[in-house]
Amino acid sequence: QFIPSDPPPPRRPAVFAEQDESDEERQFRRVFQQLAGDDMEVSPAELMNILNRIIGKHGDLKTDGFSIENCRSMVAVMDSDSTGKLGFHEFKYLWNNIKKWQGVYKAYDRDGSGVIGAEELPDAFRAAGFPLNDDLFNMIIRRYSDEQGNMDFDNYIGCLVRLDAMCRAFKTLDKDNNGTIKVNIQEWLQLTMYS
Amino acid sequence: MSGVASTLAKKRALAAGFGSSANAVPYLNQRFEALRTQYRESGQLFCDPTFPAGPEALGFKELGRNSYKTRGVTWKRPTELVSNPEFIMGGATRTDICQGALGDCWLLAAIASLTLNEYVMARVVPSDQGFGDNYAGIFHFQFWQFGEWVDVVIDDRLPVKDGELLFVHSAEGREFWSALLEKAYAKVNGCYEALSGGSTTEGFEDFTGGIAENYDLRNPPSNLFQIIKKALEAGALLGCSIDITSAADSEAVTRQKLVKGHAYSLTGAVEVNYRGRQEKLVRMRNPWGQVEWTGAWSDGSSEWDYVQGDCPHANAEDGEFWMSFNDFRRHYSRIEVCTLTPDTIEDDSVKHWSVSKFDGTWRRGSTAGGCRNHPYTFWMNPQFVIKLEEEDDDPDDGEVGCSFVVGLIQKNRRRMRKQGEDMHTVGFAIYELPSQFHGQREVHLDKNFFLTHAQTARSETFINLREVSNRFKLPPGEYLIVPSTFEPHLNGDFCIRVFSEKQTETQPCDDPVSAELEDEMVSDEDVDAGFRGLFAKLAGDDMEISAVELRTILNKIVGKRTDLKTDGFSLDTCRVMVNLMDDSGNGKLGLGEFATLWKKVQRYLSIYKKNDTDNSGTMSTPEMRVAFKDAGFTLNNTIYQLLVARYSDTDMTIDFDNFVACLIRLEMMFKIFKKLDPNDSGSIELNFDTWLNFSMV
Repeated sequence: QFIPSDPPPPRRPAVFAEQDESDEERQFRRVFQQLAGDDMEVSPAELMNILNRIIGKHGDLKTDGFSIENCRSMVAVMDSDSTGKLGFHEFKYLWNNIKKWQGVYKAYDRDGSGVIGAEELPDAFRAAGFPLNDDLFNMIIRRYSDEQGNMDFDNYIGCLVRLDAMCRAFKTLDKDNNGTIKVNIQEWLQLTMYS
Repeated sequence: MSGVASTLAKKRALAAGFGSSANAVPYLNQRFEALRTQYRESGQLFCDPTFPAGPEALGFKELGRNSYKTRGVTWKRPTELVSNPEFIMGGATRTDICQGALGDCWLLAAIASLTLNEYVMARVVPSDQGFGDNYAGIFHFQFWQFGEWVDVVIDDRLPVKDGELLFVHSAEGREFWSALLEKAYAKVNGCYEALSGGSTTEGFEDFTGGIAENYDLRNPPSNLFQIIKKALEAGALLGCSIDITSAADSEAVTRQKLVKGHAYSLTGAVEVNYRGRQEKLVRMRNPWGQVEWTGAWSDGSSEWDYVQGDCPHANAEDGEFWMSFNDFRRHYSRIEVCTLTPDTIEDDSVKHWSVSKFDGTWRRGSTAGGCRNHPYTFWMNPQFVIKLEEEDDDPDDGEVGCSFVVGLIQKNRRRMRKQGEDMHTVGFAIYELPSQFHGQREVHLDKNFFLTHAQTARSETFINLREVSNRFKLPPGEYLIVPSTFEPHLNGDFCIRVFSEKQTETQPCDDPVSAELEDEMVSDEDVDAGFRGLFAKLAGDDMEISAVELRTILNKIVGKRTDLKTDGFSLDTCRVMVNLMDDSGNGKLGLGEFATLWKKVQRYLSIYKKNDTDNSGTMSTPEMRVAFKDAGFTLNNTIYQLLVARYSDTDMTIDFDNFVACLIRLEMMFKIFKKLDPNDSGSIELNFDTWLNFSMV
């Protein structure tokens, strides 16, 4: 059911990262270095600042701004070493997804309201690579949309980042591809509390 | 990018035997056999995309892009350098290893010792490769990396300057295993320059998975001879050297023909009956295969004529010689002993030590407690218990007890040198466990224990080396080992190993993951009239409370309190709370649901106040661990690390809204697990939809 986008390249030692990079990647690396500071890692607060700076430039996206809570959650679902920060490759992956999903957002906001309405949502999520069933769509609308069923841009991104990570987590743990995963209490908490 | 799940998947794979000596992990997912076949069939030579032959592979500073040392460097395959290259000719020998322009003599000394042990050599340098029919420009080597064996693939393009190999080369010139091995090791460590400067023990360990100890011969333990003898019996690698005081001294030869600043191997230790008394002798080997000691007990010396009874061969092979243990101690400066594990070689003729290994992490705010100078946080470090049962055989030094070696390795720091990071300063402390703790593994000892008990032993120093290892001899009993960085709140990954002559039991010592869940459900009917009136006022006409309304209510209440610090409940937090508490599934809270949530918030508030011992209005992360216990949740290090990373602020405090959000989520997740595991089997099985249903909230 879930069609993941191509996985990111394996983590290369940072020392080779500059090899074979396109100009665009090199530029991105410079932006990342400025953003991440000396420790070369992006904290939730840093992520919030950059995201809010960017949406400020897009008047057609309706949003009340990314909250720190939302950014913490995004960092958590992508962080694999429990430092609470994102490294270069994780951030790049997030970045590319946000760019892609922003395009979907604009394309599927058919009435030009600046938000994704409850009827627009299933198609938008399908286009983003997540063909879910109705129950799950309803649950997602309940959790991430406002009382009128509208999802604004920050909630939309927060939701997709989480959805992508949780789909990936399932695939990672379903080693034998039998459609189920088995976890004990510690693993359950690791997966659901750090998110 | 699958976060925690990838960590779990790796842990499961390791538990299933991945990374053991029989099942090395393909480094960066590159599989040697498959790649070689693929390139053989395509008729092309392998070019490694993960370690491109370019300036980045050489180094970052002295060997950086624009340094004079790397000017004019080109990359060539052995087939472009000589007409008939060989991988190994006539077995691997010391003359295959000549140092190049890199300060990695420590590594070469380790490689030299490696050539003396066939078993070990065969595993690091697999013999299924060469420049024959199967040649496709690809080679592979196996190293031990912090508890796992990795299989590292490289292409055979080597850095060349003025027609000569820049780094390690063989004396013979057309034998390439040593140069290729060095390249594979550089790949694992990031680049060639990352190898410059190190200790032989590091190389010893990465080639054997053994544990290395280092003794200063100016100040040796009283039973050093016994240690050497036992190490040899156990098939250990032993290296020794004479310190030099200046670079000019390097490889200077003393009057009695010992070479300074040069790595010797120690290959034998015996006691003989000499003129009616016991004389301790050691056998040394100069890896050059020549230049031997000329003093007492050297080849053909007169001492051998006065030996009664069993006598070792006095005229050993070239390069090998005997000397008395006293002379050895006087002339040499240090000895390095690398004890092998059963994992390394399967040879029944030697007596192996038993070994146990555990991985651990220090994380800022949760498990990076620092050393004992920091009593407030020290107890938060990971803890391990070792149970010593049986005393050593034949304690010649007259002291009975159980010998064991503890080695603490910090992971991956050499690779981080490029980013300006380097080793942390690390060490460990050992405490004797009082009898009431015996047999218990599900307990993380708290601050009080460490305030009221003295340490029994400790690592000799806290030091910024990759590994700290020390030997101890303690009476049978149970002991707690606490590894730490010197300063608290430094992130780091480590593995800790305990080696012992006799079977010992080593276990991580940590709290279990469990919860005492009180049933606080309040039904609509239970709500008293006063609360009902309040609810009606808050909820408005629809008699339901939405996330927005909840936020308004909560913030109104906490806003009035000056004893609580909070930046206010965010809408996201309130949404999560509503969705977790919402049994009816309409995205809002009814009367009973709200009353239940209300009761919880009240309870959490009193716990928060009680545990804010310094009345700061916020909770520090050590206070949080205790507070969670009060709230009925016992959690282990792993979970605490995640909670701190997820809910604490940058100054490592938790404010009230995060505290409540965290506890409510925690409680709900315990409840969901319990519901899905009604028979307490300990694990739950989820399909994709159920998984998303719970994990998306």
